[in-house]
Amino acid sequence: MNILLKLSWVFLKIGTFSFGGGMVIIPLVERDVVMKYGWLTKREFIDAVTLGQITPGPVVISATFIGYKVYGILGAIVSTISVILPSFVMICLATQAIKKFHENKLLANFFRGARVAVIGMILQAGLSIGKSSLIDFKTIFIAGIALISLLKYKLNPIWILLGAGIVGLVS
Amino acid sequence: MEQNIRKQADELYKRGLLVFNQPITKETLKLVTELWQEALKLYRKIGDESKAREIEKSLINLYKKKAIKMERKKEQGNNILTKFVNWGLFFKIGCLGFGGPMAVFSLLENELVQRRKILTDKDFLEGAVLGDILPGPVTMDIVTYTGYKLKKWSGAISSTLIFILPSFILMIILAMLYDKYKITPKIETIFECLGAAVTGLIVSVGLRLGEKEIKDYRGAGILIWAFISSLIFKFDILTVVGLAGIAGTLLYIRG
Repeated sequence: MNILLKLSWVFLKIGTFSFGGGMVIIPLVERDVVMKYGWLTKREFIDAVTLGQITPGPVVISATFIGYKVYGILGAIVSTISVILPSFVMICLATQAIKKFHENKLLANFFRGARVAVIGMILQAGLSIGKSSLIDFKTIFIAGIALISLLKYKLNPIWILLGAGIVGLVS
Repeated sequence: MEQNIRKQADELYKRGLLVFNQPITKETLKLVTELWQEALKLYRKIGDESKAREIEKSLINLYKKKAIKMERKKEQGNNILTKFVNWGLFFKIGCLGFGGPMAVFSLLENELVQRRKILTDKDFLEGAVLGDILPGPVTMDIVTYTGYKLKKWSGAISSTLIFILPSFILMIILAMLYDKYKITPKIETIFECLGAAVTGLIVSVGLRLGEKEIKDYRGAGILIWAFISSLIFKFDILTVVGLAGIAGTLLYIRG
């Protein structure tokens, strides 16, 4: 029981401070899970993160793996819920608040600026993913086809992902 | 006598018209129908056929509207199948979101904004802003945000859980395999090709949203600033989005 509480506490903490999402929090998790409590060895922890990237969900799903290693299925459930709970509650409260203050001019302008910034970050993400993954003729070809079929032919992106995955498997 | 009745009928019709111009709900529709039916009766009584026909036409229009409203309610309401299909969308993306957060982001935009039109571009980006400013992975934040918008807390809970479930189950299976055999699947080449596809995906989303959202030089300026500051200065997401928000507050202060 005690260990479940500890597990829950660690992941609530991580869920609260995982700003910016993804890889930023991994050193934080490592400090608690590997060094402080010794639940996993360093090797196991690295594997946990790798597996977290394989699954279709966000990397925080590594919490499921860690929870499972520590306390079986129950540990997995507790740690997964704990890691998503803080952001879940904050998002709901924020959405509610935005609805309430929808006429507020300052807030509307804030979002107007921030929305544009999100687009800038999307394009930047495209560039940085492209830089690391467009390495040969094959990958450039895939990216080009993806871009054209999405913009011009409005293809469902799921097919593009599946197709690229299959090409990757075969080659 | 006849004039009095005519006056009364005119009055009823006008009152109905006033109610009709208010936002249409079940109550207002009912009220308008009653008022106009009363007016119709009075016009018939004094034998003013042209007026009576006019009102009849309005009533027919009204019935049509009522029928449309009822149908819409039926669609939204108790149909478990449509409900299932709606939440199934999050399950689908939860299953197929291989290729990292940006792949999931593109899939969400495609389904929620372009195909099903559950969110507008603005709503979607608003969700992304919240996801960037608040903790937690952005994609999951958008899912929670959408669920909350649709059905408050219950919607947020179901959408988030349904979205996370496939990964959760897969992760348990992987953890079991790992425990037994100490193996992790080899995935490098798959991920190379997925990365290339995601590049195309995310650039198309960025271009499409940019085209819709950028309306003047101020917007273009913020966009370029956000792009450059995350590329060159490596500011984290929270800083870029927060500063852009403040810039927007100041720049658009005069409307």
